[in-house]
Amino acid sequence: MQRPDWAPDTIDIERPSVARMYDYYLGGSHNFAADRTAARAMVDAVPEAPLMAQANRAFLRRAVHFLSEAGVRQFLDIGSGIPTVGNVHEIAQRIDPQARVVYVDVDPVAVAHSREILSGNDRAAVIREDLRHPERILAHPELRGMLDLTQPVAVMIVAVLHFVHDDDRPAEILRTLREALAPGSYLVLSQASDEGRRDTGERDEAERVYRRTDSPLVIRSRAELTRLFDGFELVDPGVVWVPQWRPETPESAEDAEKAVFMGGVGRLGG
Amino acid sequence: MDERSDGATGAGQPGAFARAWARAVSGTSYLPMTQAQLEELLQRLTDRLSEALVSEPFDPRVGYQIGAELVEAHVASAEGLGRTVEVVQLRLLRDLGLVAEDVEEDRMARLLASVATGYARALRDRTLDEQESIRRAAMVARAQAERALRESEARFRHQATHDPLTGLPNRTLFTERLAAALDGPGRATDRVGVCFLDLDRFKVVNDSLGHQVGDRLLVSVADRLRLTLGGHLVARLGGDEFVVLVERTTCTDDAVKVAEAALTAVSEPALVDGHELTVSASIGIVERPVAGTSPVDLMRAADSTLHWAKAAGGARWTLFDADRNRQELERWALSAAIPGALERGEFYLDYQPLTSLRDGVVIGAEALVRWRHPEFGELRPDSFIGLAEETGLIVPLGGWVLAEACREAATWSPAGAPAPFVSVNLAVRQVHRPGLVQEVVDVLERTGLPPGRLQLEVTESAMMSAVEEPVRALGVLADLGVRIAIDDFGTGYCNLSYLRDLPVTELKVAGQFVAGLRAPADDPASRTDERILASLVSLAHALELTVTAEGVETEGQAERLRAIGCDTAQGWHFGRPGPAARLLEHPARPA
Repeated sequence: MQRPDWAPDTIDIERPSVARMYDYYLGGSHNFAADRTAARAMVDAVPEAPLMAQANRAFLRRAVHFLSEAGVRQFLDIGSGIPTVGNVHEIAQRIDPQARVVYVDVDPVAVAHSREILSGNDRAAVIREDLRHPERILAHPELRGMLDLTQPVAVMIVAVLHFVHDDDRPAEILRTLREALAPGSYLVLSQASDEGRRDTGERDEAERVYRRTDSPLVIRSRAELTRLFDGFELVDPGVVWVPQWRPETPESAEDAEKAVFMGGVGRLGG
Repeated sequence: MDERSDGATGAGQPGAFARAWARAVSGTSYLPMTQAQLEELLQRLTDRLSEALVSEPFDPRVGYQIGAELVEAHVASAEGLGRTVEVVQLRLLRDLGLVAEDVEEDRMARLLASVATGYARALRDRTLDEQESIRRAAMVARAQAERALRESEARFRHQATHDPLTGLPNRTLFTERLAAALDGPGRATDRVGVCFLDLDRFKVVNDSLGHQVGDRLLVSVADRLRLTLGGHLVARLGGDEFVVLVERTTCTDDAVKVAEAALTAVSEPALVDGHELTVSASIGIVERPVAGTSPVDLMRAADSTLHWAKAAGGARWTLFDADRNRQELERWALSAAIPGALERGEFYLDYQPLTSLRDGVVIGAEALVRWRHPEFGELRPDSFIGLAEETGLIVPLGGWVLAEACREAATWSPAGAPAPFVSVNLAVRQVHRPGLVQEVVDVLERTGLPPGRLQLEVTESAMMSAVEEPVRALGVLADLGVRIAIDDFGTGYCNLSYLRDLPVTELKVAGQFVAGLRAPADDPASRTDERILASLVSLAHALELTVTAEGVETEGQAERLRAIGCDTAQGWHFGRPGPAARLLEHPARPA
């Protein structure tokens, strides 16, 4: 439904939010009854859901480590959710306190919470915007005040893209972001995938659970996800189940497809 | 959280128990650290557990702290605690190389109890903190959303209540404020004023300089009004119409002062797009007690008053006048009743004889319309014909008069004399109507009245138009034999050129020249009128036209008219208007 411009969203905590459901999977308490009910329904359908979330979070952590070691000092985390344990600025600023981070989320509660957590941190900012409007994100004064787009930036779109429907043209969204980035920038993507496990019924059940939230689910194959890295050079090992992406120990990559999320990191050459 | 640096912390390498513990709690919640960092942490806690097992006396605070530290390190879930209890109970003694006899009998149970207690407390505190924090965030977000909603509503309301061009309040807001000024609490004894302002000849600016300049002029006028009348609500109602609400007036003069200030402000020259434009405005002022009036009344009164100001030439204010308004309303009501009255047959005709001055024979009769109004009684034409002309209702009314006069005249057959012709007035609008010829022809056919027994009276002003069509139409009718008379000859703009083109039969000389003949013949003014009449008669005769004198009231007037050669006379002396029957009783009234 198209809301008129003058009518802002209302805050309805009776409606599950994907950001707070994710927090619940991670073991956090930044959630409300409606979020927990929906998250439990998801766990009933897909028992690995908490593991998926944790694996995805661990992927985020390893990716930020990798990028920091590669010299990236600017991060744009779109769809950051509730920035609780082990968020980008905690990881990146522990490695280099000068690292700058901009969080973007569409959930007003997540944004208000982020703002509180980040108060006093003058190298991190949060803006409320929708991934589907990358041009607004890029033009946002808070982003412009925090990030220098003539220098490399790591754009993190982690566990979010499956909420972007094909009608919203994800490839164009990524192109808009890419065209604003300096050479040496990175793209980190992960999203739910049914690669090699179609027809298990889990996908339908998961999509059904998320239809009740503001953010219906779109599941993509490895090939579809790989295509979204157009214009970037994938770093090893390419698009894989997230536990397989540069694991810290060989054991931690076992049963990787149970994580349901695939992800990868691409570098903008030039 | 410390970065992992193998062996550099001085702590021992993780032993078998710490590694088993780490495996047990992995995956119970998200741990923002590597497996090595986790093992390192758990090794430190293992060292403290082993001390607590053997220290004397037993200190439960060590167990509390270990539980709290686990939660702080984000090993923070029910499963994390359960697996910790399990792994400690199952493996700790064995992995540390201890046997049951090394440890006090109840020591393990007390240690696990203190760890679980410390853990549960910390987890509860953490849960409460997080709940508090997310609820606060939700409150903040809701407050922001509500503020944004209010702001956008305010913005929307502003858009809905203001004119986008000038930024002034629009009709909606003005109507609200006017209603509040009339009905608001404590207003019952107030007075209120409304100044309805309209620029004079604004259309000329738009037409000659373009709408863009017109719009900028409106903005400039709006700015000046706002600046000058800041204390009062100034609204733009649309086009070049503005209105000022003067609340809580003490007397009419308060509103007049506002109107004067507005006129002064508007009349200042404005520089618009390099054009120095000076405009004036007209203002209708209504000022009255709040009690007994309504917004609709006020605005209607202000609107009428504005039209009076315009009609008086503009560049002025005019004050509402209840009497004048009532007269206009009555006139309006009367004109609105004409179509119904035609249907109900409330109109009828009287006839006034046109008598030959030569032999006293009635040669014609002028049809005069009367209205038998059910409420106002018998109405003479001067009380409704002007209205009918303004509103265009003269067309159906005049059509009815023509048809009725012809119908009656066709029945006239006075004994011993030729039947008189009937003379019918045609209004300007009728003359200019394209269907006139057909209408007359149809009526003559329908009634059987010979064309020669119909005379159409038109005024000079009907001929003043540059349009040729009316002249042509009258020419066609004259060719059919219809008589054409010029009514009120000599009182309009005396342009004789139409006499050249028009097949006029007769001139009717206006009554005011004839009136002069009532004075003694040696009165200089009377002599002048007589000379004018004599010239008109000789002019008419030179053009082979007959002349009828109107308003002949005395024998003396008749005598002098006869002396100067006037052909026919009409007036009370020869017969007042009345039913046709009376006219036909005495067809040859002696002169």
